[in-house]
Amino acid sequence: MASELLSIAISAVILATVLVALFSKKVSVSLIALFWASTLSGVVFTAYGDALVGLMQIVTFSGAVSVLFLTVILMTGESKLDIGATRLGIMAVAGALVLVILALTQVAPGLVGLSPSEYTDVSLTTFSFLWQFRPWDLLILVTVFASAMVTVANLFSRET
Amino acid sequence: MVTDQIVFMSTGILLVFLGIASISYSKNLIKTVMSFQVVLLGANLALFSSGLNGSLSTVVGTRLTTDSFVFLSILVGASVEAVGLAIVVNVYRKYGTLNPSEIRKLRH
Repeated sequence: MASELLSIAISAVILATVLVALFSKKVSVSLIALFWASTLSGVVFTAYGDALVGLMQIVTFSGAVSVLFLTVILMTGESKLDIGATRLGIMAVAGALVLVILALTQVAPGLVGLSPSEYTDVSLTTFSFLWQFRPWDLLILVTVFASAMVTVANLFSRET
Repeated sequence: MVTDQIVFMSTGILLVFLGIASISYSKNLIKTVMSFQVVLLGANLALFSSGLNGSLSTVVGTRLTTDSFVFLSILVGASVEAVGLAIVVNVYRKYGTLNPSEIRKLRH
């Protein structure tokens, strides 16, 4: 049960960061939110048994792609993003979709591509990767995090 | 009963639809590429969750197959985004704007 609560909490945070990224008017806020969404999905991959994919997700999207976005934003000087009056409409559609998908998963799991439940609880091993990483892996991870965050924090100093 | 697989699958599908909707309504090319990244994130999450049912055979194949697909998807998606951002920079240099409708007017 703790595992389900954890997955719901992580999913809610990912959704919140993605919504901030999509609907924020400042591109710097969008970039930072997207950075955290990518990092959280990497944490999900790592926590649920695939550290290589999680590390690759963090290094590629939170590191390299974020820096690419930052470079493009600084080159083009785009400080605001116009999303028009469709924000509420998109959010309403998103809310309706959540309800429909959750209803489908309860009524007919086969329709949404889910397998029969032979599921094993992973609550005890969810975050075991934290103490199973080798020191070099941790060093690489911390270096990537630090460099990405310093680069993204540069956005604030330039007030873009 | 709500399991981790259901939660992550729902989140992934929702992210895909959110990204597609944002691509449709976006008036900025940088925002379009960001929305594409959201679509990619949702697709990866949904694909990964399809291998979370605890058995060796999953919806797509084995657990190893789904992980390999996610790995491949990450690499291809990052490459596509890099190319997309390069195109955005070139478009901005040529037309001086990132609004697709304005770019369409300037072409004629």
